[in-house]
Amino acid sequence: MSALIHFFRKLGILARRDRFNSELEEEMAFHREEASRQFQANGMAPGAAREAARREFGNDSSPMEASNEITALRVESVLQDVRYAIRQLRWNPGFTLVLVLTLALSIGANSAIFSVVHGVLMKSLPYPEAERISRIFTKSPAFPKFSFNPFDFRDIRERNQSFESLAAFTRGDMQLSGSGEPIRVHGFRITAGFFHVLGLQPQIGREFDQSAEMPKSDSQVILSDRLWRTRFGAAADILGRKITLNQQPFTVVGVMPPGTEHPGNEYHALNYGESVDIWRPFSFEGDPTQRGSHYIEAIGRLKKGVSAEQADAEVNSLMAQLGTEHPQSAGWGATVVPLQKEIVGSSRRMLLILLGAVSMVLLIACANAVNLLLARASIRRREIALRLALGASRLRLIRQLLTESMVIALLGGGLGLAMAGGGVKALVSLLPADFPRAHDIHVSAPVFAFTFLVSVATGLLFGLAPALQASHSDPKQGLHDGGRTSTGGGRQRRLRSALVVCEVGLACLLLVGAGLMLRSLLNLLHLDPGFRQEHLLTASLSLPRTTYKTDADISHFYDQLVTNLGSMPGVKSVGVGSDLPWTGYDENAGFTIEGKVAPANENFHARFHMASANYFRALGIPLMGGRFLSENDRQGTPTVIIINKSMADRFWPHEDPVGKRITFVSTPKADRDWMTVVGVVGDVKDKPNSHAAEPAFWWTQLQSPNPDMSLLVRGEADPQMLAGTVRNEIRRLDPALAFADVRFMDQIVDDSVATPRFAFVLVGLFAGLAIFLAAIGTYGVISYSVNQRTQEFGLRMALGAQRFDVLWLVLSQAAKLALGGAALGVGLALILARTLKSLIYEVSPSDPLTFVSVGTAVIAVALFACYVPAWRATKAVPAAALRAE
Amino acid sequence: MPRKPDLMPGTLDMLVLKTLARGPLHGYGIALSIKKLSQDVLTVEEGSLYPALQRLLLQSWVKAEWKMTETNRRARYYTLTAAGRKQLGIELSQFEQMIAAIGRVLQDA
Repeated sequence: MSALIHFFRKLGILARRDRFNSELEEEMAFHREEASRQFQANGMAPGAAREAARREFGNDSSPMEASNEITALRVESVLQDVRYAIRQLRWNPGFTLVLVLTLALSIGANSAIFSVVHGVLMKSLPYPEAERISRIFTKSPAFPKFSFNPFDFRDIRERNQSFESLAAFTRGDMQLSGSGEPIRVHGFRITAGFFHVLGLQPQIGREFDQSAEMPKSDSQVILSDRLWRTRFGAAADILGRKITLNQQPFTVVGVMPPGTEHPGNEYHALNYGESVDIWRPFSFEGDPTQRGSHYIEAIGRLKKGVSAEQADAEVNSLMAQLGTEHPQSAGWGATVVPLQKEIVGSSRRMLLILLGAVSMVLLIACANAVNLLLARASIRRREIALRLALGASRLRLIRQLLTESMVIALLGGGLGLAMAGGGVKALVSLLPADFPRAHDIHVSAPVFAFTFLVSVATGLLFGLAPALQASHSDPKQGLHDGGRTSTGGGRQRRLRSALVVCEVGLACLLLVGAGLMLRSLLNLLHLDPGFRQEHLLTASLSLPRTTYKTDADISHFYDQLVTNLGSMPGVKSVGVGSDLPWTGYDENAGFTIEGKVAPANENFHARFHMASANYFRALGIPLMGGRFLSENDRQGTPTVIIINKSMADRFWPHEDPVGKRITFVSTPKADRDWMTVVGVVGDVKDKPNSHAAEPAFWWTQLQSPNPDMSLLVRGEADPQMLAGTVRNEIRRLDPALAFADVRFMDQIVDDSVATPRFAFVLVGLFAGLAIFLAAIGTYGVISYSVNQRTQEFGLRMALGAQRFDVLWLVLSQAAKLALGGAALGVGLALILARTLKSLIYEVSPSDPLTFVSVGTAVIAVALFACYVPAWRATKAVPAAALRAE
Repeated sequence: MPRKPDLMPGTLDMLVLKTLARGPLHGYGIALSIKKLSQDVLTVEEGSLYPALQRLLLQSWVKAEWKMTETNRRARYYTLTAAGRKQLGIELSQFEQMIAAIGRVLQDA
C-alpha cells in the first residue's frame, strides 16, 4: 500500500520535475545566504563569508542529484541509460551497424516464419468454436482414411451421443449456364445442417433441412457470395429464382456470406479455402441395405466437453455395431480427427522444422553479438574501470551495459519487423499452390508481440555475459593496464572460442539439413514419373446427363472429340481418361480373380480408371506386355482391361497376366461377366514421392463410359498454342459445354515438388545466412586474437620464426575451432536429421555424401574467413612489436 | 580542518524529526538548531540534509510549505506530521535500545 503511495508521489514529482528542482534550488540558495549572513554577523567580511558558506555547503549539484535520486522513478534512470547507450552506439557506427543488421536479418527471418506458423498452425479456423469441429473418416486395413457409405453415415448420425451435429458432404462440380458463357463451378452436395456444423449461416435465405435429403427434392441450391455477385449482380431477389446447373433448373434457397471456407476434403479433393461456389442437397437414394460404396465425407461439431478421442471410441463402436447388422459394413472402423489438424497437420512438421532452423540462425547471430560485445568490452575496460573507481555500483553498471544490448536488440527487432513484412509476402508467393491457409498469413499483432519478446530475449541473451564479465573487472587492473592487455583473460578467450565452435556447429547442422533436402529434391526432379510430361495439355470435361442421356451418347462424344482433335495440325496424340496422374484420384473396386482365392480377411482390390484407346500413348506410359486398348474394344465385344505392372506383380507374380480374367460378379455365369487382361502398362507412382504404385486397371471408355473425363492433348511443340484449338473444337461439338482446369502436365509435375522445393529454398537460405554469420564470428575471434598477439608474433619472428610458422600458428588455431564446430555440427545433425525423415525422399538422414561435403565446406569457409587475419599476423614487424611493449 | 565525527547512519532522520518536534523550521533553521543544540559537535552536511528532507517528505513524516521568514524572505518550512511524530517515537526507542546495548558492551570490555 505504502509502496503504491510512494509510487504516485514519485510520479507527481516526475510530472513537476522542473518545479521540484527550482524549489530545491531556491531553498538551498536561501540556506547559503543565511549561512553567509551568519558568518558576517560573526565578523567576517562579506566576500569571505560567502566563500565560507559555499565551502560549507559543498558541491552545489551533489545534494540536488542526491535529492533527485531519492525521488526518481526507475523510468528516469532507464531513460538516462538509454540516452547514454545511444551515445555509445553512435560513437561506434561500424560496430553498431554490423550488430543491428545481423540481428535484424535473423529476427526478421524469425518473425516471417513465425507469421506463417501463427497464421497456419496457431490461429484458429474462421468458424465459431472451431476447436469443436472434427472430421470423421472410415478406415479398414486396406484404406486407412476413407469416406463413408451414405447409409452408414445416416445411422451414425442418428445413434451417436458425441456430436452436437453431424453432416456429410461430397464433391459434385457443376456446369452453370444461362447468362453468359457456361462455366464449371466447384460444388458440393451436403446433408442438412452442414453449415450448422461449421457454425455458419447464409447471409440470405436458409440452409437445407432434412426434407431436402429425400429423393427427388434436391433441386435446390445455395450460392457462394462470389458467384452471387459475379453471375447474378448481387440481386436482392435471388431467393426463389431458378438457375440452370447441368442443364437442369435449381431453385436458389440461400446465399452464403463472403469468407465461407470449404473445410477441405479427401475424396475428389478440394483444398481448404473459399473454393466452393455451389452447394446442393445430398439425397439418400437407393437401397439402404446395399452399403458397399463409400463416397461421402463426414464432419461434426462435438458436444461441449466431449473430446475427439471419446468421439472416436464411440463412432468405432457404432461402426462395429453396424458391421453386425449389414455384412457390407463389416470390417470398417473410424477415425475422428480435429478439423484443424486435418487441414494443417501435413504442413506442421515442415513448418516446425523451418521455425527450428530459423531460430538456430538467431542463436548464431546472438553468439556473434556476444563475441563482438566481449571484444568491445575489453576495449572499454578503461572506461568501465574508471566508472567503477568513481563509485558506480556494479549493479548500475550491469544495467547500463544491458541497456546498451537491449537498445541494439530492439533496433534490430524493429528493422527485422520491417524486413519480415517483405519477407512474408515473398514467403507466401513461394508457398506451394496447395498449401493450406496461405491467405491467413499476415504480420499481425501476435507477430509484433513475438518479435518484441524475441528481441528482448535476444538482448538479454547476448548482453548478459559481456555485462557480467565487464562489471567483474577490477578497476585497479583496468586503469593500470591502460586498457591494453596481452592476455585478454583466459576465461574470456575460452568463452569466445566456445561460442565460435557453437556457431560453426549450428551452421554445419543447418547446411546438413539443406544438403539432405537438396539431394531429396534432386531425386524427385530426376525421378522417372512413368509418363512423359512435355508438350502435354490437359483439361477436364463433364457431360451433363440431361443432354447425354445414354452411355452411348457419352462414349460417342468423347470418341468424336478424340478423333477430331487427333487430326488437327500440331497434335501428336489425344486421349481421354477418368483422371490424370498426381491429381488425387482414388476410386477403388474389389473383384474376384479367376482361379484364385483371396486370403482370409482380405479381398482383391485395385484402383480403377477409364481411358480411351490412345490415353497411354498420349501420356507416354509404356506398354510392357500384351496390347493397348483399341477402337475395336467397344460395346458388344468382350470386356477388356489394361493393368499396371504393380497389379500384375501383386496378383500374377511369375505368371503372364495377359489373357487372365477378373470379375465383379459374385457368381459369374456367362463369359460377359468376366473382364480380360489384354495388356500391362508401366507404373505411374500415386504421388511423385510414393515408394510404389498401387495396383490399378483401366476400362476402355467405349465399354464403360464416364461423363467426367480429363482430356490429354500431346502437341508437337508448345501446347499453349493448342488451347484455342481445343476450345474451338469442344464448342463446335457442344456449344453449351464448359471445359475447365486447362493445365500443362509439366506444370502439374512442377507443382508436385513445390513443397520440397519450398522447404529446401528456405532451409538453404537459412543455412547460407548461418554459415555467413559463423564466418563473421570466426573472423572476429581470430582477428581479435591476432591483434592481441601481434607482439608475440613480432617477438617470435625476431627470434627467427618464419612467416609460414606464424601463418601456421594462426591457421591451426582457426582449424581447431572449425574442426570442433564441424564435429559438433555433424554430431547434432546425426541426431536431429532423423526429424527430416518424412520430408526427404530416398536419402538417408545420415547420407555420407552430404555429411562429408558439408563438413569439408564448413572447415574450408572457416579457414578462408581467417586467411586475412592470419596473413596480417605474418606482417608483424619485430621492431614495432618490441617498441609497443 | 579537524574532521567532525560522522553521524551514525540513520540518526540524521531522527535528529531532523526531533528538531521539527519543537516547531516548524526551514532547512537552514534545522541545520542551525542541530548545530547549536549539539554545541557545534554535529554539523549537518547540507549534502545530506536536503536529500534527507526529501526522503521524509516522501514518507509523509513531514510536510513542507513556503512561508515568509521574520526577515521577510521566502523559505520552505517543514512541519512534523502525526505519522512523523509516531515515527520519531519508534526511532527514539530503537536508538535508546541501541545506545544501551553499546553501553553494556563498552562497560564489559
